[in-house]
Amino acid sequence: MRLVLVLLAASFAGTSLSVWWLSGFVPWFLLPDVSFLAIVFAGLFIPGPLGLLAAVPAALFRELTVSAPPWSLFLSSLSLYFLAREVSLRLFIRAESFILSTTAVLLLLESVSMVILSLLIGSRAFSALWVLKEGIRVAWTSLIAVPLFMDLSGRWQRVTE
Amino acid sequence: MTSFLKKWWRLIAAVALMFAVAQLFLRPPPALQSIGPLRGYAAIVFRPVYATVDFLHRGMASLWGGYVALTGVARENEELRREVAALRETIRSTREDLFENKRLKELLGFSETLERRTVGARVVGHDVSPWFQGLFIDVGGEAGVEPGMAVVTPGGGVGRIHKVYRGLSEVILLTDGRFAADVTIERSRVRAIAEGTGGGGVCSLKYVSPTQDVVAGDRVLFSGFDGSMPKGILLGTVVSAQRPREGLFQHIRVVSAVNFLAVEEVLVVLTRPTIPFRADKL
Repeated sequence: MRLVLVLLAASFAGTSLSVWWLSGFVPWFLLPDVSFLAIVFAGLFIPGPLGLLAAVPAALFRELTVSAPPWSLFLSSLSLYFLAREVSLRLFIRAESFILSTTAVLLLLESVSMVILSLLIGSRAFSALWVLKEGIRVAWTSLIAVPLFMDLSGRWQRVTE
Repeated sequence: MTSFLKKWWRLIAAVALMFAVAQLFLRPPPALQSIGPLRGYAAIVFRPVYATVDFLHRGMASLWGGYVALTGVARENEELRREVAALRETIRSTREDLFENKRLKELLGFSETLERRTVGARVVGHDVSPWFQGLFIDVGGEAGVEPGMAVVTPGGGVGRIHKVYRGLSEVILLTDGRFAADVTIERSRVRAIAEGTGGGGVCSLKYVSPTQDVVAGDRVLFSGFDGSMPKGILLGTVVSAQRPREGLFQHIRVVSAVNFLAVEEVLVVLTRPTIPFRADKL
């Protein structure tokens, strides 16, 4: 339970810091999606209902801080959690390279889904520059995930042992 | 079948949720929405955070501007440094107050010229997601704010209310890809539809025939015909108007009059849009 609370606090603080404080000073592609990382961590490392419990507040934070259609980010975050859980159960290997690639793939998957949905409703065309910036965001967030997940998973393992 | 479901239920849940998300995007709620109870309570969780962060942000800015920046002077003379620090702090504080006073006076004067009921709000955060353009203001449902209402400044239009909570509202900027509004070129009175391009402070004007008179430098105003944004509010200035050799319409780009990263206070026009608000095309 302690780790869940740590994850919740980190997600809360990170999201608040990004949205309420750093936004406007730091460009969006350099701000890591902390709530996303919390959800993926919960999916990869926290088994059972406790993982879902940890993912729900982070999903709610995302819903509140992203201007997507109502409830869409909450549901897509839960979908992300289940996908991460599936990856954890079927494929996951506790290695730095695997954490990096899993996080990057999940980020890309979410981004591509959002782009497709935005294009389907005809809302905007995404420029090459935007793709480049999004690439930086994906790489940056995935890189942050590696030490963060390794550290937190180590702590979680010690707690469960 | 049961074993298959047992084995793959997470993946099935993930796909089903993504389908639900697609539905929310493609078939948005057709009319004005009120604050759901869950959303209302969820916003309460964030309200103290953005209030605290706003307070800290101002405190830090004050600390930085008033003290940290004066460390070089301290090396020259301790006594002088204290005096200079005190004087600079006074000047900074006075200037900051003056600027804020000026901004608020402008906002008040502008509010009176709007001839509509408005409510002032402070910008407390920005949407940092890569897909949408939005910002957060510190008024919500308790102040009569509803989705679809226009958000403006004396300098020009900002956008429309998207989601409303208690003490907090989310504004879709006019550069967001989902924003669209009826506009008029001030000089030639040519009408067009302004659409957000998704960033860079730029909108595009749609459905303007190559025979119509639009040139770079023209000011673009909201026409008010679609009943969403107030008539006469400045959208921005035309930066390029290209007439393609083939094609029915001109390619016109407009830079918004408001710098969305610098805007601190806004006005919400408390008039319900006459056309029901749709979340996909605001």
